[in-house]
Amino acid sequence: MELALFTAVPFCLALLLATPFVRTPLNKSSQTVLTSLVFAALFAWLIGMLPRVQEAGAISQTILWMPSAGISLSFYLDGLALLFGLIITGVGALIFFYAGFYFDDAQEHNRFIIWLSAFAGAMLAVVLSGNVLMMFIAWELTSITSFILIGFNGADDAAARHGAFKALLVTGAGALALIVGLVMLSAAAGQILYPEQTNRFVGDFASILQANTLHQHDWYLLFALLILLGGFTKSAQFPFHFWLPGAMSAPTPASAYLHSATMVKAGIYLFARLSPVMYPNELWTSSLLTIGLVTMLVGAYFAVKQRDLKGLLAYSTVSKLGAIVALIGLPNQSGLKAAFVAIIAHALYKSALFLVAGTIDHATGTRTISRLGGLRRKMPVMFWVTVVSALSMAGLPFLLGFLAKETLLDAMLHYSAPWTQLVMTIVILSTAFTAMAAYMLIYDVFLGRPRERLHIHQPSAWIGLGPALLAIGSLCLGLLLEPILIPVLELAVPKSFELHLFAGFNDVFLLSILILLAGFLLFLIRRSLIKRITFPLSGDAVYREFISYVEWAGTTILHAQSGFVRYYLVIILGAVAAVLILSGTLSDLVAGQQIIPPDPSVSTTDLAKVFMLFLTVAAGLLTIFVREHVKAAIAYGVIGYAIGVIFLINRAPDVALVQLLVETMATVLIIFMLGRIRADARLKVINSLWTERHDHRLGLLRDLGISIVIGLAVFVFSLNALQNRPDRHSIAEWHLANAKAVNTDDVVGAIVADFRGTDTLLEVAVFTTAALGVLTLLARGGQRRGSLAPRKAQVGVLHEFDASVVEEIQDATSLSTPFTRSVSFIVLPIAILIGVAQVLYGGSGPGDGFTAGVTIGLAVSLWYVVLGYNEAKSLLPWFRPALIVRLGLVIAIANALFPILMGKGFMGHVEYDQALGIYDIVGSFGLHITSSLIFEVAIAIAVMGGLGIIIEAIAYPTDRSQDGFETAVS
Amino acid sequence: MTEVLFALSIGILFGIGVFQLLRRDLIKAAIGFAILFSAINLFFVAVGAFEGDFAPYVSNVEAGRQTSDPLIQALILTAIVVSFGSFSLVLGFVNIISRRYDTVDSNDLNKLKH
Repeated sequence: MELALFTAVPFCLALLLATPFVRTPLNKSSQTVLTSLVFAALFAWLIGMLPRVQEAGAISQTILWMPSAGISLSFYLDGLALLFGLIITGVGALIFFYAGFYFDDAQEHNRFIIWLSAFAGAMLAVVLSGNVLMMFIAWELTSITSFILIGFNGADDAAARHGAFKALLVTGAGALALIVGLVMLSAAAGQILYPEQTNRFVGDFASILQANTLHQHDWYLLFALLILLGGFTKSAQFPFHFWLPGAMSAPTPASAYLHSATMVKAGIYLFARLSPVMYPNELWTSSLLTIGLVTMLVGAYFAVKQRDLKGLLAYSTVSKLGAIVALIGLPNQSGLKAAFVAIIAHALYKSALFLVAGTIDHATGTRTISRLGGLRRKMPVMFWVTVVSALSMAGLPFLLGFLAKETLLDAMLHYSAPWTQLVMTIVILSTAFTAMAAYMLIYDVFLGRPRERLHIHQPSAWIGLGPALLAIGSLCLGLLLEPILIPVLELAVPKSFELHLFAGFNDVFLLSILILLAGFLLFLIRRSLIKRITFPLSGDAVYREFISYVEWAGTTILHAQSGFVRYYLVIILGAVAAVLILSGTLSDLVAGQQIIPPDPSVSTTDLAKVFMLFLTVAAGLLTIFVREHVKAAIAYGVIGYAIGVIFLINRAPDVALVQLLVETMATVLIIFMLGRIRADARLKVINSLWTERHDHRLGLLRDLGISIVIGLAVFVFSLNALQNRPDRHSIAEWHLANAKAVNTDDVVGAIVADFRGTDTLLEVAVFTTAALGVLTLLARGGQRRGSLAPRKAQVGVLHEFDASVVEEIQDATSLSTPFTRSVSFIVLPIAILIGVAQVLYGGSGPGDGFTAGVTIGLAVSLWYVVLGYNEAKSLLPWFRPALIVRLGLVIAIANALFPILMGKGFMGHVEYDQALGIYDIVGSFGLHITSSLIFEVAIAIAVMGGLGIIIEAIAYPTDRSQDGFETAVS
Repeated sequence: MTEVLFALSIGILFGIGVFQLLRRDLIKAAIGFAILFSAINLFFVAVGAFEGDFAPYVSNVEAGRQTSDPLIQALILTAIVVSFGSFSLVLGFVNIISRRYDTVDSNDLNKLKH
């Protein structure tokens, strides 16, 4: 449980920072302090977990979610997770502090730390999750937050957009491979661990790590390759490395955090996590080693060529990631110690260097190395941070980076294979290039001559705190092996090991010094060297080629698109019809169907039903054959009423009531809306369909054919369903027997308000969302845009009846006679009374909160019809739909949550009158104050408000400017 | 009994709804959309697990009367509400199309392509 809470903290922080009434009172500096303190606290908590992990080996916690499907939220904290967790929270705290001074604009800063905090939560979830599926979800979350952070300035910066897109495409494609690989892995682990069960998936890492014959499994080749692909793309390994330099358009704190210290190490984390069961197979080790070494060399080689400070750091990050991957790939996990030292060292020096680059960018406005120079006097803190961090990167004794390089060289020297020489050459070359890049960082940026007169905008002195602490880490951690580094590493490295900062003047030490010197020589000849660096093929070019093919395919396919929605529908439904016929489904259904002839001895209720069915069909056909929209709308109303009567005959009084009310409302809405649509537009379509017959006869036949096939299929399907009904084996029996327990007579009402209350809550949410959708559409979408010129319709003679109705609704004055006015005045209070009665006594008769809401809504809509928008609005000042909706939803949610306090669970049934001891008093009025009653009240209020929004949105006069609309409604 | 007729009406109503959706007139398409909903609701009420001669009330159950299926009724209740919500959204769409492009003929709208 505590691990779940721990992981939730950054997400909650992000939510909190995004909530208006929380963030508004907090200014930029308090947000900075808050975020960095939170992450520092998380860091401290993880340190506190250290003894427990030492003792238990691993802490595993599970919150059951869907135990029957084997899906749970599980968390797993072992040494590996702890190591990564410490980096994420520790570096995170410093980055959050830094970000407070990096951004000048408070709003931008707030937006940035929201996403950064969400990212940190996702990253913690990656390393702490104990389940492959949960890890995968978190993995994708890091990709998405990274996408947002890279494209942070995307609104003004095309490079940022492209970089973000590139990163998302590459890591996303890798993740697709990864999920397949992980699912296969868990299936394979299931087969190994539970041979007696088929199709058992084992998703949690703790169990997967027990499946120690995994490397001999038949599917090994496939899932190992897929998982490798996922990790390689995430950790920017060759040939997928190119997205990382592209990601440098992110704000620098994000680059330092995501693209250097944490996210790019997710792939490495995955490799290290699965290594214990995967490494005995040659495929795993040799792929990691090969790809890692190539990446290491390519990254280091390209780094020195970069003129952009962040580009240089990005490529050298690529190189270091390659080195770590190669180390994990060494046989028998002999490189793990070196890999973890490298991870820690790299996180410290590289994020410090990134932060320095960001500060320089912030102060001078440029990151181009050839424009910088001589910054030492201007930025002394940054200078010393760079000296320490860059030398740590080069591997100067006795900084932390030196330890990383020593262990790296040591591990590689002990790797005995026929190609050891080649491996050592690559390693030495790459580290020499890295050393060269480090010298360039110090000399070309801070020493040397200033090449340009740059205006320096001094940032706050506090900006140096984060980088300085990171540099102190690089400086001291190497010296503090015993107290700090070794205990953490001992947990993460499965074997016992020795670690010394200085192991004597052995060959490794000499090699290390030689590399430093070689790097210096390279540094001296850098001008002529850099010019010669070229590479025939770049991953970026391949990516661009690929994207251009995708775009070409897109434009080609676009030629086949008509753009007419109707034809898409024709194709979709036509395909359905074709499949129904060709696959034989329809003929099978028909063949297997024995039509029971209607019983000749029909009762009167049956006759009534038959009549009503006839009415629906006739009215339905009428909606097609009448030309005028108003008539079609009224015919539609007839269908609704006839179905309502069928409900009544079928002994469903509640449903019948709702149906009748809703159909009335729907018909009113159609007619209302017809008045808002210009008559000539409607006339044009009527004319072209009926008088001029623009439509081809073939098109008519096609539509007719599709509808007949689909109608036929529905007919056969319903017949099947109707004639094969189960006999009284339904959960409904249980509802009938238990409705008494919730003090309701009406079982349907009891199901809606009590047994399935959560469904109803969601239903009301859907309804109000739809209402808000209408509001948004009509309030915001009204501006005429696009190239389609308003057509000057050739208006023929307006059909008489049609025109008069349109005029009547457009101009409400003619409806506003003294009689109609007095009717609408009387109807509203009566409707409210009926509504109240329906809510209070809904338990013992038809009607519930919903019908109450619709009843009142209908009465209000009558006011709008009769009096027109303006007068209705001014006479009903209390009717403010947006507020009413909010009130209803708040009551509903509070009522759903309150029973939790009483120990009854979400939406539990609480009898408030008994709890308050007023049962007898209210009981004498025939009332029971229960949670369901309050729920019904909430539904009534919310529905009334939702309807109000819809009515006001549709009744709002169109000829006015749209600006006043929002204020008018809310 | 009336099952065949029920199924027939549902089929015809469904066909009518689909036909309206396929035609050019957007207002009639909206009506067709609503008819589809009605057909589905009709199907639900017809397909309830059991029929009875009395409404599903506890008092009827206690009196030993055969009631109709309450669960399917609760389901339709929800379905009606949600379909009304989507229907008003569809009307909003038609309204906004007519305002923006000055037409209710779907043949005048090929904006999906660009």
